[in-house]
Amino acid sequence: MRSKHVVQVYDVVGLGTDALGIVEEYIDGEDLWNSQFPKISLDNYLKTLWQVASGLADIHSAKIIHRDIKPNNMKLDGEGVIKIFDFGLARDEGANAKTKGFKGTPGFAAPELYSHDTVVFSRAIDTYAFGASAIFFTGTALPPCLMQIPPTALPPGYFLTLPLGTPKVLGELLESCLFTDPSDRPLMEDIKNEIARYLLKDKHQAIVIHNGNPQYLNSETKSVQLELTGIGKVEIAYDGLHFKVVSVSGEIYINNSVPQVGTILPASCVVAIGATYRHANQRAFITFDVSNPEVVL
Amino acid sequence: MTGPHVAGDLVDDRYEVIDYVNEGGMQFVYAAKDTILDRVVALKTPKNTSALKRFNRSAIVSAKVNHPNIAKTLDYFECDEKPYLIEEFIQGSDLQNSFLKKIKFLDPYLAARVFHHLAKGIAAAHHVKVIHRDLKPSNVMVSDDPQFSVIKITDFGIAKMAGEELTEVALGGVESITASQTAIGALPYMAPEAIETPKDVDLPADVWSVGAMMYEIITGEKPFGMGLIAVNKIMSANFNPFPSFLTINPQFSPLSTKLIELIVLCLQKDPKKRPSADKLVELCSTLYYPISERHEGIVASIKYNSWGFINLNSQNVFFNLDSVYGKLPKVGDRVVFSMSPGGGANRAHPIIRLIPEASAA
Repeated sequence: MRSKHVVQVYDVVGLGTDALGIVEEYIDGEDLWNSQFPKISLDNYLKTLWQVASGLADIHSAKIIHRDIKPNNMKLDGEGVIKIFDFGLARDEGANAKTKGFKGTPGFAAPELYSHDTVVFSRAIDTYAFGASAIFFTGTALPPCLMQIPPTALPPGYFLTLPLGTPKVLGELLESCLFTDPSDRPLMEDIKNEIARYLLKDKHQAIVIHNGNPQYLNSETKSVQLELTGIGKVEIAYDGLHFKVVSVSGEIYINNSVPQVGTILPASCVVAIGATYRHANQRAFITFDVSNPEVVL
Repeated sequence: MTGPHVAGDLVDDRYEVIDYVNEGGMQFVYAAKDTILDRVVALKTPKNTSALKRFNRSAIVSAKVNHPNIAKTLDYFECDEKPYLIEEFIQGSDLQNSFLKKIKFLDPYLAARVFHHLAKGIAAAHHVKVIHRDLKPSNVMVSDDPQFSVIKITDFGIAKMAGEELTEVALGGVESITASQTAIGALPYMAPEAIETPKDVDLPADVWSVGAMMYEIITGEKPFGMGLIAVNKIMSANFNPFPSFLTINPQFSPLSTKLIELIVLCLQKDPKKRPSADKLVELCSTLYYPISERHEGIVASIKYNSWGFINLNSQNVFFNLDSVYGKLPKVGDRVVFSMSPGGGANRAHPIIRLIPEASAA
């Protein structure tokens, strides 16, 4: 497998008669157990979570379970790129995904791993460990309920009590990573995408063009009203994540559909005022294009 | 196949040649299967003796850089007295040989993305004091998908460490640069100081080359033209004016204007005045560009010289001619576009026309 956020294997070499060596990418950097980076700001915290979630989503899409996700197994390199390493316990999904006896790291190991019998596990154990790491990255010690054997459920709303001010929706998602029932935990791919939206919070921009004149909507200028008197009126506002219709009346069409209050504008669209039966001078067309800076790590 | 190998050759008992990919200035490139790690890699071997001298050093220099926007060097070895370099394989093609021939220039959205990723890669190389010295579209690999999800700089064949003296460099001025196989860098993208005093080339020369390359990526033309006439223009940093189509459309002009500003900063005669690669990354991170999936379709109809439909796998996608960047397409032309949901039909924006000869081939 290959991922921007997973340490690459370069080579396998024979060492003597019955030993093998694995040559891995060397990351000149600090591991995230010791790093201050995630704790410095919400932006750094989200960048950390997003990169780890991206690496895990890539690992899972290759049908591999890492089995030992924890901050000591992640490194931050000099270019600001975070990579997951130590596949010592990794398994392919499926029939082999079971083990006897506890393997893992207390605090980061999911409750289902503490069973006395043969344990069948899934990628959701990595999701659990990701959730525990997300607590650690705020600079908070893992709470007693996670350190119990086996760990018990977090008090609801736990992430909202942590430093750095994780947004509510995201906090609830991170909390769901630590649900006791593995099937209740979200997919890493979905977690990655949700974090990406918050990384770009307040950073979107829409260019609104009428008759060749551009006007910008962003976190500073949050709303615009488009109106053709007596024919139609629509107000569009930016909530930090989306551009949404906040009020609409008369003949308004967005990409040829009739919008409602709450409709999210697509990335690129034309707002038409005036229905098709009207004369050209009773209609107006405004292009609306949303963009954002790219987070390149 | 071209070069010393045919499909099925096993190199060093490990790398099984799959296919010939292309040749750089100095090396043959093959796709090969690493039979131990069961993955596809790029296998490179030098073309001639003058290339041989630099080959080993290029392996050492490029191996120092570790960044997602740089093709990773995985191994270097000699086998049957020939040196080989194993590099990460990118499923795709270089910007020169496929894409610019097919599209000629990129819309500002995609160009901004390429600019940002190139700046990131070059910054990573510069952090470890590696100067690439040969940045040009054929040394930029992009993945097959039309939105370039992977962008990587490759071929550190003539890279050097900052401050390092290179004795084998041809110092004969213009004549040797244009005539010699061993010239350092591709003329259209070469910084003035790389022509005048190749010995003193430092990190800012790469920034110039990125600027020159981005000029071509957004305009379809070389900034100083082709051939020897370009030398005088390069020496005075007198690039050809940017064509008006870049900024004529109000939907594209805000971003195009920003891109032009950045390119002009890179193409300054005085190396000290150019932004550092880090500064360039910082500037690129303030660019706003949508990242959306791209599709390839055929223009099915155009009405009133104003709007029409594109056929995408028998789905009709609405478009307005205002959304076309560059030359307008005719019915039957192939186009690349992004789309957003719309009532009745999805709406395409932006749209770029593919060069008909290339897409027919």
